[in-house]
Amino acid sequence: MVVSKMNKDAQMRAAINQKLIETGERERLKELLRAKLIECGWKDQLKAHCKEVIKEKGLEHVTVDDLVAEITPKGRGKEYKLCERKCGLRHDLFSLLLVQVFFFFNKEKHSF
Amino acid sequence: MKMEEMSLSGLDNSKLEAIAQEIYADLVEDSCLGFCFEVHRAVKCGYFFLDDTDPESMKDFEIVDQPGLDIFGQVFNQWKSKECVCPNCSRSIAASRFAPHLEKCLGMGRNSSRIANRRIANSNNMNKSESDQEDNDDINDNDWSYGSEKKAKKRKSDKLWYLPFQNPNSPRRSKSLKHKNGFSVCTSASNTLPLLFSSSGELSNSDPFKYNNSTGISYETLGPEELRSLLTTQCGVISEHTKKMCTRSLRCPQHTDEQRRAVRIYFLGPSAVLPEVESSLDNDSFDMTDSQALISRLQWDGSSDLSPSDSGSSKTSENQGWGLGTNSSESRKTKKKKSHLSLVGTASGLGSNKKKKPKPPAPPTPSIYDDIN
Repeated sequence: MVVSKMNKDAQMRAAINQKLIETGERERLKELLRAKLIECGWKDQLKAHCKEVIKEKGLEHVTVDDLVAEITPKGRGKEYKLCERKCGLRHDLFSLLLVQVFFFFNKEKHSF
Repeated sequence: MKMEEMSLSGLDNSKLEAIAQEIYADLVEDSCLGFCFEVHRAVKCGYFFLDDTDPESMKDFEIVDQPGLDIFGQVFNQWKSKECVCPNCSRSIAASRFAPHLEKCLGMGRNSSRIANRRIANSNNMNKSESDQEDNDDINDNDWSYGSEKKAKKRKSDKLWYLPFQNPNSPRRSKSLKHKNGFSVCTSASNTLPLLFSSSGELSNSDPFKYNNSTGISYETLGPEELRSLLTTQCGVISEHTKKMCTRSLRCPQHTDEQRRAVRIYFLGPSAVLPEVESSLDNDSFDMTDSQALISRLQWDGSSDLSPSDSGSSKTSENQGWGLGTNSSESRKTKKKKSHLSLVGTASGLGSNKKKKPKPPAPPTPSIYDDIN
């Protein structure tokens, strides 16, 4: 029962996600997120961190994986949370997202 | 199907919120990844570090945070006390006064031409008053004016008076100005020097090297001849703070006779004395202190039609003409110059009188009378 429920959740999530992509909402949300992150300085912080990493590793030998591995945790970590609070990401973007999800879910309900 | 529907309907808002949260996290991760790709591309293409400055430049342009300086390290008000050297007159001028000075010095700009015209007009007046030193052309060319009747001290009212009667922009004005400009100060023929140095201190600025707008002269640059001629007509006492000679009359109240004598002794040697006395040394041929004799001589000269006032004034102007000063040193520059002109004019058209007279130490008085004879 639980598994199926989880499957259901996953299914639903997948469906909603797909809906978002199809309508282009996801892209719009992504752009909005990017703008907000630049605004609150998150990008500059990450860039500084990147520079350190690159200086460490050497300019020639940096790979994407290195960068990803180094930066993503930082990008999701404390600084991010601070930035989030600063520019009200959670408030604006997340609520927007929530609305979208509800909307799609209601639509889906009928199609399900 | 029905089971699914049932399970779907069982979903509460929290589940939806959880889903939204997950989607949101996905979005953030996508952004991070996108950023990584950008950086990686910038590193590989070589433009990642372009917006950085090297540490040495950073040190050069570091923000300065000291008292009295701005963030660039410059001192406030630095240019207030700076002095510039004028390329025209080679004088050191304060920076804030440099532009107006240059305007006057070069003779360009609105005000300087106005002032120059005014000065020309004034010195034309002066010329007419001191007739025997004046160029014949100037006497003939200039229109009739009230200038001779006014004192030099009231120069400003002069300007107002004769302006309606004379056109300051007429070619004659420029001619006389040219005449003055071309007149070298270094020559001994410095008749016009006293004309240029007025008692009110309004100097023609045609020769910026030596004369300035203040009431003094720099004596270092003058030659001995000029000094002598200067000292015979002006006070000449050197001011303490400006180190310049006083250009006021021989009777100027600011300085005493003792000072004047001291200056003359300093410049011209121990034998030099004040012009009042000097004349007597030079003119042995007649008694200058005897005004009566002068008047009689003048009347004998052929100007018997002169009124007593004229003769009295012409006496003083005669004195001035020959560098002699008796009782009225200020009147020498001022009153009745025109009448002196007439005196000279009526003296049977003496050519020598109409010429510009040099100011030699020995008076030309005997020579004039020789001509008459």
